[in-house]
Amino acid sequence: MKTKKQKRQGDFQKIQLKVGKKKPKADNATNVNFRSKAIHLPEQLKHADSGPTTHRQLDIKDLLSKLHHINSNIKQGALVGLRELLSAQPTLIELHASAVLSEVAALFTDKDGSVRAAAVRLLRFIAQCISAERVAPFFPLLSAHLTCAMTHISEAIQEDALRVLDVLLEHYPGLLSQRHTVLLTNFLELISQKRKAGTGQDKSGKGGFALTISTNRSVTAQQWRLTVLLRLGSFLQAVVEERPLEEGVTSMIGLGMWAGEKGSVTSVDVSWEEHVFGKGRIQVFENSGAVPTPHSTYRLRPDSKAVAGMNKELCSAETVQGFAGTLVPLMLEIWVEAAGGDRVQTDSGHLLSAEAMALMFQILTILQLLRRLTPQRDQQDILDAWFRNSYLTDFKHHFMKNFPYGLLEVARHRKKADGKRQQQVATGTVAGGNVEPLALNVTLCQVMVTLSLRGQDHVEAEDADWLGTIRVFIRETLSNGGKLSSKHLAALLEVVWRMIVTQRSRGEAGFLYFFFFNKGLLNLKCSFSLSFRSRILARWLASLPVQLVQLCSRNPQLSAQLLETIHPAAARGNKDLLQSLQKNACSIYDPQEGSVVVLPVESQKRLVQILHFLPTFPAELLACLSQVCNTGRVSASLATMLIRTIHLRSPLSGWSSSSQDVPVKDVDYLSFFFTTLTGFSSEMLQALQDTDEDGLMPSSTLSPLSVFTTTLEQFLHHWDVVEEVCHCLDTLGSRAQCFDVIQNAIIKNLCGLVVVPDCVCAAILRCVPRLLDVNFLPSDTLLHFLSDCCLSMLSLLLQLEQSARKRDAVWEACFAAMSTVPRLLRLVLQSLHVGDLCEEELPVLAQILSLLLQHTQLRNHMMANASLLQHIIQDLTHFYGGETREQWLTDLLYCYSVTLSGHRANMGMRDIY
Amino acid sequence: MSAPVEVVLSADSAGQLFNCAVFDPHSGSEFLSYRGGNTSSRSLTVLNGEYILGAQLGKNFINVWEIQRKDQLQQKIVCPGIVTCLCASPDGLYVLAGIAEAIYLWEMSTGNLLAILSRHYQDVSCIRFTDDSSHFVSGGKDNLALIWNLSSVVQLDSSRTPEPCHILSRHSLPITDIHCGLMGPQARVATASLDQTVKVWEVSSGEMLLSVLFDVGIMSVTFDPCEYFLFCGGSDGNIFQVSLCSTSLSRDKTFQTDSDGNQVFKGHRNLVTCLSVSMDGTLLLSGSNDETVRMWDVQSKQCIWSINHKGHVTNAVIIPAPANMFLADSHPAVPLPRFSRHLNPSEQGDGTGSGGMCLRLGASTQEREGTYLEKADELYSLMCAVTDKSVFGDGENTKVRVSELEEEVKTLKKINKDLYEFSTQLLTKPN
Repeated sequence: MKTKKQKRQGDFQKIQLKVGKKKPKADNATNVNFRSKAIHLPEQLKHADSGPTTHRQLDIKDLLSKLHHINSNIKQGALVGLRELLSAQPTLIELHASAVLSEVAALFTDKDGSVRAAAVRLLRFIAQCISAERVAPFFPLLSAHLTCAMTHISEAIQEDALRVLDVLLEHYPGLLSQRHTVLLTNFLELISQKRKAGTGQDKSGKGGFALTISTNRSVTAQQWRLTVLLRLGSFLQAVVEERPLEEGVTSMIGLGMWAGEKGSVTSVDVSWEEHVFGKGRIQVFENSGAVPTPHSTYRLRPDSKAVAGMNKELCSAETVQGFAGTLVPLMLEIWVEAAGGDRVQTDSGHLLSAEAMALMFQILTILQLLRRLTPQRDQQDILDAWFRNSYLTDFKHHFMKNFPYGLLEVARHRKKADGKRQQQVATGTVAGGNVEPLALNVTLCQVMVTLSLRGQDHVEAEDADWLGTIRVFIRETLSNGGKLSSKHLAALLEVVWRMIVTQRSRGEAGFLYFFFFNKGLLNLKCSFSLSFRSRILARWLASLPVQLVQLCSRNPQLSAQLLETIHPAAARGNKDLLQSLQKNACSIYDPQEGSVVVLPVESQKRLVQILHFLPTFPAELLACLSQVCNTGRVSASLATMLIRTIHLRSPLSGWSSSSQDVPVKDVDYLSFFFTTLTGFSSEMLQALQDTDEDGLMPSSTLSPLSVFTTTLEQFLHHWDVVEEVCHCLDTLGSRAQCFDVIQNAIIKNLCGLVVVPDCVCAAILRCVPRLLDVNFLPSDTLLHFLSDCCLSMLSLLLQLEQSARKRDAVWEACFAAMSTVPRLLRLVLQSLHVGDLCEEELPVLAQILSLLLQHTQLRNHMMANASLLQHIIQDLTHFYGGETREQWLTDLLYCYSVTLSGHRANMGMRDIY
Repeated sequence: MSAPVEVVLSADSAGQLFNCAVFDPHSGSEFLSYRGGNTSSRSLTVLNGEYILGAQLGKNFINVWEIQRKDQLQQKIVCPGIVTCLCASPDGLYVLAGIAEAIYLWEMSTGNLLAILSRHYQDVSCIRFTDDSSHFVSGGKDNLALIWNLSSVVQLDSSRTPEPCHILSRHSLPITDIHCGLMGPQARVATASLDQTVKVWEVSSGEMLLSVLFDVGIMSVTFDPCEYFLFCGGSDGNIFQVSLCSTSLSRDKTFQTDSDGNQVFKGHRNLVTCLSVSMDGTLLLSGSNDETVRMWDVQSKQCIWSINHKGHVTNAVIIPAPANMFLADSHPAVPLPRFSRHLNPSEQGDGTGSGGMCLRLGASTQEREGTYLEKADELYSLMCAVTDKSVFGDGENTKVRVSELEEEVKTLKKINKDLYEFSTQLLTKPN
């Protein structure tokens, strides 16, 4: 009972609550410890079966409809989705181009910045995929929206409109340039506003527009103008470049006359199969189609689209004048503001901040482009005259006042302070961000010089002051530095040319020109077209080789240009040039640091070709050339070409008919070839005798000469050279005499050497059998040396694992030598004294012998020395004390028996018949 | 023995056996030889089928033989300098000689020196006429080849110095040989150069048509008459055959031997200095500095025969056999005049040309006439007109033809309509 009671108490125990203790939780308390989330469905569950979709299962129709949504986030998402979809399915672009483009274009003027940015990104992507022809039908729409955005009241939209313009300029410059009428005024309105009618009238000289300054832009007015001008510049560039080039318009720039007549050749492809049976006649073009027949009126497509319209509008001087009339005053104002902003005058020039400099550069570029807008020559002259009349005083006043401009270096610390703002600008002014002061100055010169008029005396005096400044600047620029890039040089050249054309004071200009010649700038065409200055030309030509030497490898392009001039001049036998070339030949063709080894391959080739025109080849030059061939810094094919050139220039080759002048003396010729053959000068060989390098193989009984192994590369290079040398020597008239000379040279220079490079051995072994005349008996000394070489090379052969090519070459040389000169084989065999060999050398000897025996063509010669051979083999077996028969010995004996039996069989056959 | 159609004429620099000799192209047996002196390279030429002219090596005169009198040197023409190359026009009216860097032009009927052209900057190495004698091409050691119009060179107006029609300046080393194809002014010219290329040009425009790069300098070049192949003699003794019918469209190519036409004739051991192809294009003659002349079968690339000479072969050419060559008692139709050494014979006052009259075109007639292609066009339209008239001339044929054409127009219209309907349906269909 008690237990039952106790149990009941346990069930209904009263829990006492105490002060200070936590109240325990009731068992049935609700846990509120959870969070709820809304369910968000960015993608559809249903699979749209009608076409490809994004990863959110939205197809293109959905996306396009979302572009009209009021929420900008959704619009942006739709744009991103479109980009994803189109990049995954490029074919969709073609299908929906019209819809996509029109919708995207509508978003150029969206009020939300992120949407616009996404729209521009999408446009950039689409532009990469669609060619200009396909966009052309939609382009009016695009440009309308662009115009709308550019003239939008919101400044942020205006800024983004420039991004759109960037994209279009990059991908569709041609299409955009047809819209210039609207766009040009838009550009103006971006940086300025129309004057009120009243104020516009009284300042008629300043044009109808005034610069605007808005305070609430994110960038300063100057930066904004810079971005706008950059775009304007690139737009005008597009207009100029996309213009269909008409005939006779080539002289658009001053340099046009030097452009040369490089007729582009269009090939006429005729497939004969079609015409064999067809009745249709083949249209053959006069002059191989290089010049189309003028009578043909047939056009594939009438060029009605705005090209004609542009010609009507932008080619004439009047229209350009009209536009320039408003633009130039604006730009002058900008210039004044930029120049006035930070005025630091030092003796080196007027210093400007980088930003101002970029702005000024843009202004000048635009001025240049304006001038180029008219293609016709006469129109251009009208325009020039107009510019001069209207703006010369302004230009002189503003541009030339502080003429040589410099960069202000102190602007650095300010950058940190407002780095963020700078960064924003940097995105807008990518291209115009950093302009060298030199570029600015040169462009300024170009602009100013176009204003100077041709051949009028009375204006010359008034121009003299500012032209003088320019002249001083040019002279200083040229004299104090070779740092000019080719672009600047070309520009400067143009300036100088223009000055010469316009000015009568030839003396001064002539000096400048000579300066330019000295810089080695002009290509040949121009120099020959200016042959009236023949004395200067001659001096200039004569100075070219010297410059080539001095230039060395510093400026390969300039060197190539120099060579381009030297080559034809040398070919035409210009005396001054040839004299100078002759004088400097040794340094040009120096094997260590001459131009021929340091320049790139193309120039090397040209140098070798120029060699052909040298009047004489003195011994020193030939020594240089021989080393050039062998040092491996010119390719083997070039070395071959060089050797051939010398061969052809020598009277021994029998090509050159004129006998009175001897460019290469026979003695020099032969010594050149011998030096090239050995590949090592006597000093180098002498030095080798004393060295103790690891490439050296010590001499032994089997290898009487200590062989210096050259690198594989060097060996193969030398091998190719030797091939050509042998060929040239082979074609000389009297073989016997030639061989005699070579033999003497070898005996004198090489016999008696202890250390011989392997390539020299191979070369000697190669050339001797090729040059040997049947009736000529080689001397004993030579043969002994050759046998030493041969043996050394054979033992080297067995140690060569590195390259099959090298081994083949060595073996070929040895074999050729031994099979052509039977006495050599005998000498080799005689020099094999088995008794002197140590134990380790026996296998090597055996291998050599089996190699010789295995060769079929050598077999007969071996048999001629059968007794000698037998003796050696007997000795070999005798001295080899080992109990077991080794593999090499078995091989040797087998080879020997096969050879012997074959020989006997032959003999037997002969006996039978 | 019947007279051969073609003969081989060759000369060497030694001149021990003969100056030049005539061989049978098929057997290599010698027919005739002409003695006296020796001949420099590219300067042996046959004038009018009646005289053989050869410039003496290293001397300033030209040897002349009457073609039937082989032993006897007929005349020596003394020139102002060493003659480096010589060429007689195929019609036998003019002779060109390259003397140093100038080209001298003589008229054969009077012997007058008509022009001295000095447009080359260095020695002239080769001169060739086109087959109709209207143009000639000269190549020099200054890397230039010039195409000249003969009529503009011989014009009367002495105030204007004659200019070449085209300057071919794409070679980068001296030009060694030139070959002119057939077809007169529409011919193609091949130039070989030490810069390891052979280039083919068009005479009428001066455009480069093809450039082939080899491994070695090229010393001689020739076409076969059909211009199927280009043969190039290398300085290593190989002769390269380049197929001109290959379908590759690039202008610049590198020579590689292959099965379809680009192959090598191997046999010579030294510079191949002269090449010539027979009229039917089956035989190729080559002369080399290894002192042999070889005849090759083009098809099989085998050497048929070879003749040893005593010196470098300077000239070797296959020519149509002149009629007089084998008739010992024939005489030249025109006696060879004395060649004048000065430009204006009247100023000289020795009256060599007495009784003769020099005919030259006036400058006014030099003005542009229609080009050859335009003329060809005209001719073609004339021919077309004739055939049109004869074929479609009568009324019956025309009617039939017209009804046929109308029928065709109808069907075409129907097709067009169908196409239009189909596409409109496709476009207007609500998707």
